[in-house]
Amino acid sequence: MSAAIYHLEQLSLSYAASASRPLHAALAEISLTLAANDFVGIIGPNGAGKSSLLHLLSGQVMPTVGHVLLAGRPLHRFSATQLAQRIASVAQINVPALGLTCWQVAAMGLLPHKKWFEHETDRDRQQIAMALEHVGLFDKQQATTDTLSGGELQRLYIARALVQQASILLLDEPTNHLDVQYQHQVLQLLQQLGKTVICSMHDLNLAARYCNKLLLLHEGRVQAFGTPEQVLQPDLLQQVFALPCEVTVHPTFHWRQVTFLAKDMFYTKAKQAVL
Amino acid sequence: MKTAHVIHLPVKLMLLVFLLVISVLLSLTIGSVDVSITQVFQVLSGQVSEPLIDTIIWQIRLPRLITAIFVGAGLSLAGAVLQNVSRNPLADPYLFGLMAGAGLGATLVSIVFPDHVISLALAAFLGALLAVALVFMACVGSGFRKMEMTLLAGVAVSFMLSAISSFILYFAEPFAANRVIFWLMGSLSRTDWTSVGLIAPAVFVLLLVALAVRRQLDAILLSDESARSLGVNVQRLRLVLLLLTALVTACIVAQCGGIAFVGLMVPHMVRYFMGVTAVPLLLGSALFGAIFMLWVDNLARSVLSMQEVPLGVITSVIGSIFFLLMLRRQLR
Repeated sequence: MSAAIYHLEQLSLSYAASASRPLHAALAEISLTLAANDFVGIIGPNGAGKSSLLHLLSGQVMPTVGHVLLAGRPLHRFSATQLAQRIASVAQINVPALGLTCWQVAAMGLLPHKKWFEHETDRDRQQIAMALEHVGLFDKQQATTDTLSGGELQRLYIARALVQQASILLLDEPTNHLDVQYQHQVLQLLQQLGKTVICSMHDLNLAARYCNKLLLLHEGRVQAFGTPEQVLQPDLLQQVFALPCEVTVHPTFHWRQVTFLAKDMFYTKAKQAVL
Repeated sequence: MKTAHVIHLPVKLMLLVFLLVISVLLSLTIGSVDVSITQVFQVLSGQVSEPLIDTIIWQIRLPRLITAIFVGAGLSLAGAVLQNVSRNPLADPYLFGLMAGAGLGATLVSIVFPDHVISLALAAFLGALLAVALVFMACVGSGFRKMEMTLLAGVAVSFMLSAISSFILYFAEPFAANRVIFWLMGSLSRTDWTSVGLIAPAVFVLLLVALAVRRQLDAILLSDESARSLGVNVQRLRLVLLLLTALVTACIVAQCGGIAFVGLMVPHMVRYFMGVTAVPLLLGSALFGAIFMLWVDNLARSVLSMQEVPLGVITSVIGSIFFLLMLRRQLR
């Protein structure tokens, strides 16, 4: 078993009340341990707290109660640079500035490792080239980001994370807005990195296929955490997503496959079974 | 393996430096007294042939030209930095209501306190700082997370201070009012070596700090969240750069009045020809801004035989045409 990289104990996060919004608890009583090199998929309906948990793990938001321990040390004891050397985040919406090339975006990953007037070395350039090669964008290094497809853009941010040399990758819905081909391309790439990858996902079938651990959140609380086989239970999913569902096993590859049914479809099927 | 700007950047910068040197030499020959390029070389190399020419070059033209270089470089640099940290292509060094603040300072000292308790330049500088202080007070609660708040606060402060100036000018004696209005349009006619000494250090500090945080400036181009994930303290970076650009602009406004559009236009041209990342943008803006301001000043000095045209008038004409052309190009 891999060493624990994150440890969260009885952690809660509430957003401050404002005139228009009362105190809102985004996460409550979260206790869990994430192991190094795991590919963890955070699943759950909208508003379950997936993005909030990612913000907590990245150190951009501090918990209201409890601590996040990274390799045994509280996250708030790390400086912003130290965190950036260990954790790379890829946000859900990343609209790059016009005119930036793929090379320039990937090179931004050097930032946490460079001092004020320190120049890029040949080794740095080699590292950027290797990262672009790894994500299949080496030939597009001089292409501006506005010419890239959604999948290429997502891969470019992964390349930047590789240049950042962080051992942990946090991604907020990395397959959002991508077509089927690019969804698989990006997740395959993440699976092959050999890093700790934690990402929020809406597609349960993709999560079951690529993640070795799933974390099911509902109303800010952990409903289940474990392998896809342990987490993807029809009763549990029905309770969380408020829809009847079936969970089957792929005959060849043994992936879990979740099919949600509309309520009337479910009852028609149940009636036919009785008759 | 190198990016396109790494290969070409030194060549482009060398070309700009060469153009700047040529512009300085030619500008030294332009003026009411005819000075040949040979005489310029003689004076600059210390071979004094005519004391009058020596005085014209060292005491009148050179300080004015060097001030023009630092004014152009400073305004363009401030514009480039502000446009990047705010990710707003319309951000401008006068965004904090600096011009209106300086105008109020100048109006007060010229009209309300004509005995000149303090100099016009110092009053303009204090007025500009007052405007910055008001904008910062309005935005301090947001922690500069929302740059649009800063921009809107700048617009509001600008209108407020301009209204006070207009009220005073409306009741002022026409000659004094004309003097303030002409000053507000921008001119290098009152500059000397003291102006160079006041503006140049501020511009150098801004350039050095901006180059030191060049990677942070690039990272912020994507988004605040993205920059934070790379270890950038976005709020602190913004605060430091906003203060520095405000200081540079206040120094320039105090010495030369209002020179519009330079800080808005030059970074756009540099981005088009040299790239969007911080190093080419900062160095290119500083050099191109300096060349641009030299030739604007040459035009201001030579277009009319008996008097100077205000710099702000020329930069506004060029700037507005440039933006209309840019708009047309984007619409196509």
